[in-house]
Amino acid sequence: MEYERESVCPVCLKRIPARHEQQGDDVYLVKECPEHGEFRAVIWRSQPSLDLWRRDKIPSYPAQPATGRGDGCPFDCGLCPDHRQHTCTAVIEITERCNLHCPVCFAVAGEKEARPDRSVEEVREILAGVMRVSGKCNIQFSGGEPSVHPELCEMIRVAKEMGFPFVQLNTNGRRAALEPDFAVRLAEAGLDSAFFQFDGTRDDIYESLRGQRLLSEKQTALKRFIDAGIGVVLVPTVVPGVNADNVGDILRLAAENVPGVRGVHFQPVSYFGRYPAQPEDASRITLPEVMTALEIQTNGMVHAEDFLPPGCEHFQCSFHANYLVMEDGLLKRLSANRSGCGCKSEPQVASKGADKAKGFVSRQWAAAPEPVALQDKPVDDLDRFLARASTHILAVSGMAFQDAWTMDLDRVKGCCIHIAGPGGKLVPFCAYNLSSMQGETLYRPTPGVKKGIAAHGQPAS
Amino acid sequence: MSVIRVPEADAGGWSCDRCGEELKPTPVNLEYMDSRFTVELPFCAKCGIALISEELAMGKMLEVEKLLEDK
Repeated sequence: MEYERESVCPVCLKRIPARHEQQGDDVYLVKECPEHGEFRAVIWRSQPSLDLWRRDKIPSYPAQPATGRGDGCPFDCGLCPDHRQHTCTAVIEITERCNLHCPVCFAVAGEKEARPDRSVEEVREILAGVMRVSGKCNIQFSGGEPSVHPELCEMIRVAKEMGFPFVQLNTNGRRAALEPDFAVRLAEAGLDSAFFQFDGTRDDIYESLRGQRLLSEKQTALKRFIDAGIGVVLVPTVVPGVNADNVGDILRLAAENVPGVRGVHFQPVSYFGRYPAQPEDASRITLPEVMTALEIQTNGMVHAEDFLPPGCEHFQCSFHANYLVMEDGLLKRLSANRSGCGCKSEPQVASKGADKAKGFVSRQWAAAPEPVALQDKPVDDLDRFLARASTHILAVSGMAFQDAWTMDLDRVKGCCIHIAGPGGKLVPFCAYNLSSMQGETLYRPTPGVKKGIAAHGQPAS
Repeated sequence: MSVIRVPEADAGGWSCDRCGEELKPTPVNLEYMDSRFTVELPFCAKCGIALISEELAMGKMLEVEKLLEDK
């Protein structure tokens, strides 16, 4: 059997050979550990086929690698000299505490075991390291639940003062819902965007995923973020049997709340933490299934073929399409779709994709600008289009994380979303969160490991 | 001289290089990446050619193009 890829063993986390196995249009990652045997997990189901989805890049290696080559990927992070993509978003975890206590959480957040919060000075040092090795990339404050940190606003101010153009908060929105002036204070500090955990439009979804009926609280938080002038990205974690049937309604709700809502970012569930048995393939949903579900559940308001592979991260990691929300509420797709193109694009230089994605995210995921007044000048379709597009574009995207069963080191090397630590250290998101079946990790500290799923959001490009 | 309504296309006095016909402001369909826009442009009715000024091409049309081109 020929193994053309590399992955890790879910038991011992050693690097092991892997391969793709095609079954119809479905693709499985199959790998073999000399000690722990064979593992197989679905990574892609149905159309568009993974072959057609392919988008290769010419690697852009780090200008200043923080680590050298030692044990090889994924043990040398990072970034090591072999990493193939620059930073689009640097994620800074400022606390391990959380105010939601979900039954499951990849960040293993829980107040009892939490390490001390990071101080403003520590965050300033991390930001300085990011600026040194990655320049003015986008910044996301995360956790835990970063809004519980008493000095969050000061950290946002520091990031903006240092010249980072786009600062985002990865949040469950609880504090914004409970404290009427919290979103305003975030906006005054300079926050551009809320990466807002929003799993669905029904309370049973929140009961399943978060252990509480949270819909009303989510709606309050959404309104507060919008009223404060913070761009909102709705971030659902998509779980089969829980909310995979709700993605169409989530998209409709997003469109109804444009221009306040600037994007929806679907995150298929992945499995971090301690798992004595491998998660069944039935408990996974892959990117093409989310694209297809969006078409079916919106009765064709969007189409699966609208979505394009990314130019920044690895092509297997995400999809995206942008729409203009028209006066009648319908969505008009921007840019040609894949079938309309009819050509296979040449590989792009990875850093160019990262630069484009950084610019797009900082423009699109921040609040919309003031509407353009049209009455003072002759109006043609271009004027009308530009006026509408300045405020009413909705970005629809999805991103698949990798866990111990689905990790492909080719994807890890192409990652542009990096967890930032002191001294300019950056670790690709999925490598940082990787955990073995026993809950052991390579990079994330494990204070009292719990079984968990990717219940928090992750930024995208 | 006819009044040109497209501010970016100051086409007053333009005539068609091919046939000498005076260009007249006419609604023209522009198509780009599956999107269609109707814009009034100086147009030669005989040859079916529209004048797109540099200002229009590098202004509004470039802005539209940037929005339609994806990352």
